[in-house]
Amino acid sequence: MKGVGGEILWIDLTEQEIDARPIEESMVRKFLLGAGFLSKVLFDHIPADADPLSSENVLGIATGLLTGSMFPQASRHLVAALSPLTGIWGESHAAGFWGPELKMAGYDAIIFKGISPEPVYLNIRDDDVALVDAKNIWGKDVFETDELLHKRHGKKCRILSIGPAGENLVRFAAIMNDRDRASARSGLGAVMGSKKVKAISVRGTGKIDVADPDNYLKEMDRFHKRMLDNPFTPERAKYGTTNLVEMMQEIGRLPSYNFRQGVFDEYEKISGQKIYDEHLVKARADWCCLQRCGRVTTVREGPYKYTGGAPEFETQSSLGSRCGNDNVESVLFGHHLANKYGMDTISLGGTISWAMEAWDEGLLTEEDTEGIDLSWGNAEAIIELTKMIAHREGFGDLLAEGSAKAAEEIGRGTEKFVMAVKKQEIAGQEPRAQKSMGLAAATAARGADHLYAFPVLDEAGFDDEIRERFGEEYLPEMTDRLNPKYKGIMVKECEDYMVVVESVGLCKYGTQIPPEFYYPAVSKAIQIHNGIELSEKQLKEIGERIVNINRLFNAMRGITRKDDSLPKRLTQQAAPTGPSKGQTVELDDMLEEYYEERGWNLESGLPTKETLRRLSLEEEMKRTGLW
Amino acid sequence: MVELEFVIGDPRVCTGCMICVNVCSMRFFKTISPARSRARVLRIEPALDFPLFCRNCEDAPCIDACPEGAIRRTKKGTVIISEAKCTGTGDCVEACPYAAIKINPDTGKAIKCIQCGECVSRCPVDALQITTREKLQETDPDGEILSLHDEHADILYGKEETP
Repeated sequence: MKGVGGEILWIDLTEQEIDARPIEESMVRKFLLGAGFLSKVLFDHIPADADPLSSENVLGIATGLLTGSMFPQASRHLVAALSPLTGIWGESHAAGFWGPELKMAGYDAIIFKGISPEPVYLNIRDDDVALVDAKNIWGKDVFETDELLHKRHGKKCRILSIGPAGENLVRFAAIMNDRDRASARSGLGAVMGSKKVKAISVRGTGKIDVADPDNYLKEMDRFHKRMLDNPFTPERAKYGTTNLVEMMQEIGRLPSYNFRQGVFDEYEKISGQKIYDEHLVKARADWCCLQRCGRVTTVREGPYKYTGGAPEFETQSSLGSRCGNDNVESVLFGHHLANKYGMDTISLGGTISWAMEAWDEGLLTEEDTEGIDLSWGNAEAIIELTKMIAHREGFGDLLAEGSAKAAEEIGRGTEKFVMAVKKQEIAGQEPRAQKSMGLAAATAARGADHLYAFPVLDEAGFDDEIRERFGEEYLPEMTDRLNPKYKGIMVKECEDYMVVVESVGLCKYGTQIPPEFYYPAVSKAIQIHNGIELSEKQLKEIGERIVNINRLFNAMRGITRKDDSLPKRLTQQAAPTGPSKGQTVELDDMLEEYYEERGWNLESGLPTKETLRRLSLEEEMKRTGLW
Repeated sequence: MVELEFVIGDPRVCTGCMICVNVCSMRFFKTISPARSRARVLRIEPALDFPLFCRNCEDAPCIDACPEGAIRRTKKGTVIISEAKCTGTGDCVEACPYAAIKINPDTGKAIKCIQCGECVSRCPVDALQITTREKLQETDPDGEILSLHDEHADILYGKEETP
């Protein structure tokens, strides 16, 4: 097989043993690499009753088949484990240069088992792979760790690490790489922290040989041209994802005040235009990225002074509108701190906004918060809590558990303000203004999630792509974001495609929004890069297989239809104001259509035997002991 | 004497995507490998990305440094390395003030940018140009591109590790 590193590193931390094993093409043909590969490995290796922070959990980091290729945005790697936030399937993805570098060193994935007796970091320099004492680095933040390891191993190595949040087992801690890139969701930084692995430094001086070197540049030129010519690209290059604030406000989809409503009156103060005008330093790209949505921003003076990686829309929403906070400098600085400490900003803002609403309702008081005023929009409190959560200090220790567990502990009726699914906080997508997002949050394998399906085709008028991907017969209903009809069909298809995208190491920008590249492009890229023939039909089946094995993983941990739910606020309370006023999420109707389309049982929400047989997952089905 | 051309990039515009680096290794060695590319990209925090190439120096110390006489200047002014003559002593690598020559680990021979322009045309943000000292004064009248390079010379040209 071409276009890969060739080996998987299996690391037993308890025994401090490292073993490199070749990747198997039969496995790749069934699950690809990245998300699919880890789905299978973790299903096989994590016991059903394992505690996420125990030595039984397995932490996997994998590149995709196309990671390190010259396909647009082929920069990504994926991290997966049993999530300490949700207790079910946990995965998270990031761009950067770390994944391509790992391939250059000759490896496609790293699997960590056990727990190291002492803090260590993994140092990879081509064939030299070693666990190194990390006592002097433990306790350092992400940026300090990056600088220290560069000093030690040279400026060309690429660093992945956890910060204090991961060390302190914050349940939504991230794994960071290349300074400001985050595998943020699912709390996998805490898994890395529990295993006492501080960082992975990689330097690869090898090469990625491709299947069709003679035509490679010519073919890649065509893909690059398509990406550059797409009308979305200049806009993305200018604003990154930050101007989604304006777009979401316009359609009433900007979660505000902990999802009380989908519009934020002060939205202009935290908008993409505001950041562009006053805080942008430059656009930055990851490996072979033509869209360059990454950016460097700055706050020049005052308490929130910094220069560094910029926020995405999700942080503007989570630390901004969701907390009723219109102080953009605090949003930017809060993002910077979350990167420095290594935390997911979505769950961070989601947890703080839960506390703010509970405060607003009189259910939390100064006695709980040790004097911190949690009034909506208190920027100072948001920054203070960010630091306290990362270090598990005072009230921050409770919030470090995430909103669902914190509410369980506090009680007093605060549970009803938890805006989460399967204990993970919902991202910045108000589903009453886009029904497909509600269904996607309810069904995603890692708990509330906009990216597992990323069903954005009905968001911005991609009627032609919907026609091409689904067929004329689904129009106009499928293109109408307020109409629940056909959204089950759409979300199913989007989930299957997005897990394929996560398995080949591409970005959802370019494959889903804008929907420039679809299965034929991915199939072609795998052919010229890896030399494997996988048709559109085969790739679709692999995607479906991955979603189903994720479902089996969760079923073993008690997940059924009852868990594919949304907070009652979204399904029973009409949006009170804005363009989506009067809307609720018709979840049950969409779920029925979704299960039917998936070949899952309507009552249990679990795959039928026939479906699992069709996808060659009988062996896995038997091992769950549920069928 | 012909005007000496070289490739240079604007670190304020470059996004650091490394497409230039990969285009180069693919064009010359049919593989993806920064260690086998004649170009390199170095990111300097907080906000500079330097794409780096042979400067095609007037005095070209690499030519004098080569004990095999394998490096010469063509009629068009390009400094080239004869693969037949190169024995990989690494003297040119040592002599280059811009860390722009490296030894290809597969062939054991020195490689450097020959201003073919393949990367320049493919840069998605037009951060690269093939230029001469004179032309650069027109396209960058304040001399910011060169002064940013000079300002960070220690980091950019430090002979830290090869390849």
